[in-house]
Amino acid sequence: MICCKDLHVTFNRGLPTEKLALRGIDLTIPMGEFVTVIGSNGAGKSTLLNTIAGDINSTKGQILFGDRDVTKLPATGRTADIARVFQDPLAGTCGDLTVEENMALAYGRGQKGRLSSALNSKMRKVFREQLSRLNLGLENRLESEMGLLSGGQRQSVSLLMSALQPSTILLLDEHTAALDPKTAALIMDITSQIIAEKQLTVMMVTHSMRQALDHGSRTIMLHEGKIIFDLAGEKRAGYEVKDLLNLFAQAKSDGEELDDDKLLLGA
Amino acid sequence: MSLFSFLGTLEIGLIYGLVAIGVYLTFRILDFPDLTVDGSFTLGAAVTATLIVMGVNVLLATLAGTLAAACAGLVTAWLNLRFDILHLLASILTMTALYTINLRVMGKPNVALIMEPTILTPFEGIFGLPDMYMRVIFVAVCAVAGGLLVAWFLRTQYGLAMRAVGSNKRMAQANGIVVKQKVYAGLALSNGLVGLAGALFAQTNGFADSTMGIGTIVVGLAAVIIGQSLFASRSMYVIVLSCIVGSVLYRLAVSLALNADFLGFSASDLNLITAVLVALALIFPKLRKEWKAKQAARNEA
Repeated sequence: MICCKDLHVTFNRGLPTEKLALRGIDLTIPMGEFVTVIGSNGAGKSTLLNTIAGDINSTKGQILFGDRDVTKLPATGRTADIARVFQDPLAGTCGDLTVEENMALAYGRGQKGRLSSALNSKMRKVFREQLSRLNLGLENRLESEMGLLSGGQRQSVSLLMSALQPSTILLLDEHTAALDPKTAALIMDITSQIIAEKQLTVMMVTHSMRQALDHGSRTIMLHEGKIIFDLAGEKRAGYEVKDLLNLFAQAKSDGEELDDDKLLLGA
Repeated sequence: MSLFSFLGTLEIGLIYGLVAIGVYLTFRILDFPDLTVDGSFTLGAAVTATLIVMGVNVLLATLAGTLAAACAGLVTAWLNLRFDILHLLASILTMTALYTINLRVMGKPNVALIMEPTILTPFEGIFGLPDMYMRVIFVAVCAVAGGLLVAWFLRTQYGLAMRAVGSNKRMAQANGIVVKQKVYAGLALSNGLVGLAGALFAQTNGFADSTMGIGTIVVGLAAVIIGQSLFASRSMYVIVLSCIVGSVLYRLAVSLALNADFLGFSASDLNLITAVLVALALIFPKLRKEWKAKQAARNEA
């Protein structure tokens, strides 16, 4: 379970370039729920994910995993709970290492690096099994350099890597955005399989309203660092992309009015 | 080239093989260009030589030299990681500071080890072998053993994590790897190897000198590049051992260039020859790539 309480993040605090990226996020995601996160550019979607992962320190507020307060824990300390897949297919893997070495890193996620051999035949067997699910023939390319694989292949491997270790939370940051439609569909398929198999608590940031409604059981929209709506259950089931767009336009104009008010008050 | 000078070249090449492995660790594995080695090579030699002259056990003295150099690596890592000083600049700062520290350690510009016991003393006259062969065999064993250890290390979980840090920090972090710890460990290991090379150099050549470390980084880099262009392999064992081979070949090439009378080089031309060799080794892969791309374009047309 993820619980954010009054979460604030400010970049460049105290400088002229100060930016309020998150302004009071209150969000509780029960165990096993799949939440899709939408919003325009700069709304704070990625910031929210990165703050939950620990890459970014919150300036105010609290983050809980279950009943454990992880607000002060650095990213590396949270990796036992969290698996991630990034938007950039190159970001989730090391291009200089082989496929099996990359997978071995994920296999040891959250463990202390020991002076025992990084790879063994048992691991290779697991990796081969996992890779064969992709039907990309990668199970025969364990010793290929990751940098030689295409973006789609690398993203597929990243996704499998996220599921090699038991974790409770999966954070997906537009992980299909940089892929062609066919590969994106394949990745989404495997994502759904993995989530169902491992019963993960998932947050998926996406730009595609269609994807946001088709997957998961709840959708939240961020705007200027706040959650402006939270859809779930029957209400969500009846929603279409155009309804979302309407909501979005409405939220945006509301927001702009607010800004105008601020200007007036400021003057 | 006489047999004597050939063996001498081999010996120095093998010792600098350890330097090459250290440089490989920072430049290639951690992607952290570290010029500290110019100072830490001398530091290893200076500490070891000074302690030996003071009467300390040679093994302890060698160990102390190695550890001192490893600490120099930690200082560079600290300047970079704690204060965000650019890695290159951080290492130049440490290197500059080490020049003074080395003079202070020795108390004078150089220390001679003539008539002092060295790490080689127990092996003198072993199996009736002439010293010049014995020395080459000894340093070869040291270099290869060091290389095998490093290769083994890079294949462990810890070593793999270190390679991930150099390749993709964000991915490493997302997989629970503490990036800074790996950089500290890598720089300590790298400079420790270079310090060990300095300690061996001082004992095989009978002196430590405050200027002996100048250009160490370029020589190490040359060895890495030569080795890697000759042996394209993904095996850590092959890669690390190719650093040693590269180092020996580099020394032989330099020695041939200096010995070839028709070229008219003198010993003072060494630095220019080194720089040109390294530049060529760096230029060649790039040119080959461009040439191949051109050829492919022509074939398509």
